Amino acid sequence: MGKFPPSFRSAISSTSLIKNAPSQQQQQPHYFPKKLTKKNSPKPHETQTPPPHKSLFKTSSLNEAKSLFNSFISTTKAPLLDNLRLHNSFLQSYTSISTLDDSISLLDHMVKTLPSLSPDRSTYHVLLSQSCREPDSSLSSAQKVLNLMVNKGFKPNQFTVDVAIRSLCSAGRVDDAILLIKEFSSKHSKPDTFTYNFLVKCLCKSRIFNSVYSFIDEMKSSFDIKPDLVTYTILIDNVCNAKNIREADRLVAVLKECGLKPDAFLYNTIMKGYCLLNKGIEAVRIYKQMKEEGVEPDLVTYNTLIFGLSKCGRVGEAKKLLKIMVESGHFPDAVTYTSLMNGMCREGDVLGAASLLEEMELKGCSPNSCTYNTLLHGFCKGRMLNKGVELYGVIKKGGMKLETASYATFVRALCREGRVAEAYEVFDYAVESKSLTDVAAYTTLESTLKWLKKAREQGLAV
Amino acid sequence: MLPQKMKKAITDNPKQLANLIDLVNLPSTLRDFVGQSQISHLGCFMRVWSYIKTNNLQDPNNKNVVNCDEKLKSILLGKQQVELVELPALIKLHFPKQKNMYFMSFITFEIVTHSI
Repeated sequence: MGKFPPSFRSAISSTSLIKNAPSQQQQQPHYFPKKLTKKNSPKPHETQTPPPHKSLFKTSSLNEAKSLFNSFISTTKAPLLDNLRLHNSFLQSYTSISTLDDSISLLDHMVKTLPSLSPDRSTYHVLLSQSCREPDSSLSSAQKVLNLMVNKGFKPNQFTVDVAIRSLCSAGRVDDAILLIKEFSSKHSKPDTFTYNFLVKCLCKSRIFNSVYSFIDEMKSSFDIKPDLVTYTILIDNVCNAKNIREADRLVAVLKECGLKPDAFLYNTIMKGYCLLNKGIEAVRIYKQMKEEGVEPDLVTYNTLIFGLSKCGRVGEAKKLLKIMVESGHFPDAVTYTSLMNGMCREGDVLGAASLLEEMELKGCSPNSCTYNTLLHGFCKGRMLNKGVELYGVIKKGGMKLETASYATFVRALCREGRVAEAYEVFDYAVESKSLTDVAAYTTLESTLKWLKKAREQGLAV
Repeated sequence: MLPQKMKKAITDNPKQLANLIDLVNLPSTLRDFVGQSQISHLGCFMRVWSYIKTNNLQDPNNKNVVNCDEKLKSILLGKQQVELVELPALIKLHFPKQKNMYFMSFITFEIVTHSI
């Protein structure tokens, strides 16, 4: 107990647990569309202008870009020329391959040759995002664009902050991002919660927690920007991944003090933390607390709980929970069933797990490669090799990948029965389907065969 | 639980990995079989195994046994029949551990100097 097959780990991390992360972004639907129209080239016009934007510029030479623009405006019809987005995307494709100074000169040229063109905020955002992506280690280029913007009468606003911070973070310049966000908060406009949370998330990835806390404190004390529920969810998620559940408890207490009410995402994150530490009972406690506070559990809640309970050997409770889940109107998915199967296989009830596979297919939930790997692992551990071989046939037919643990267990089980040729065949499939690296697949095969040879010499194996 | 951990240790061990994938200058017998002067341990195994498969050298009655043809015999100690179980070990013989070689030469050197 305690350990669980890697096949299973990926099921959880890829489906149920990570759902917490995107969910934070789902809360900002009104936000992204704006950004898209601002930064990217508009789709409808691309159909009208045949040259694809990416291959528009072959060199970063300014003169060529200018002449290309000239020929472009002389060949394009009038109504299209008034469209600022088209010009923005033209500028953007040039900035992506050239220097900032050249891009500014190109913009000047564009305005001069086409007087009807009046750059707006978004045009400068294009320049700003490029200047932040440049790998040079100072903020001077970003400041240059900002000065340019202010001179033209556009005061930087929340979107400007956001564009700059996201570009800086994607270039890995987190330090500069912190500097810039402070500068913005004191001079121009405060960042909105999305920008703030995005930066906190980036900080959590690259910094120790204390420096993240000090950043949050500083923003709170100097600019009155308070962390919200999403911020706390991000923090708790990172704390839990570092297996520091006590800190998570402390954070929950802090956020309650601030007058925030935990939602389902936050509870799911804490539950995940307990499950990682193998404390299924604690996760159930959180679940009860959640219900008491009137927070409606969702699919991820149930998946996390069933996973946690199966992991620490309380399959009975997990099964009960599955019933509750169905009664409350949630459809169990592949992750739910795979979690439960894993628990049953650990208990040695492989046949029960196999019948669960049938049940799940009956209910129209299609198993994924992880489900099969879990079962294959279970069959081999439970000494039901023939069933395992059958299942391997299904895996192979579906072109699914084998996972390290199930591959190793399967190869060992085959060799134990003296079916070496079949083990070689599995090795071939593992290499062919790129499930494992060649080296990993070979070392497993080699050490298994070495063990078999020794066992034969001692008269222990066939 | 233990074997999995061990396996992880093996794949994580860079030296072990290097032994498998580093190119090695081949002795003449192997060079004739492979058709090139350098190959890695892993590459050699893959080459031999695919040679067995393409030439259908597995015994039709017992797939676990390989009936060697002349070419294969030359690199597998001249055996008429080889079991698939011992194939990795046989191929490993062509790829002695570098460190041990160095160590051995050192010992012989010691012996020689002592005898003098």
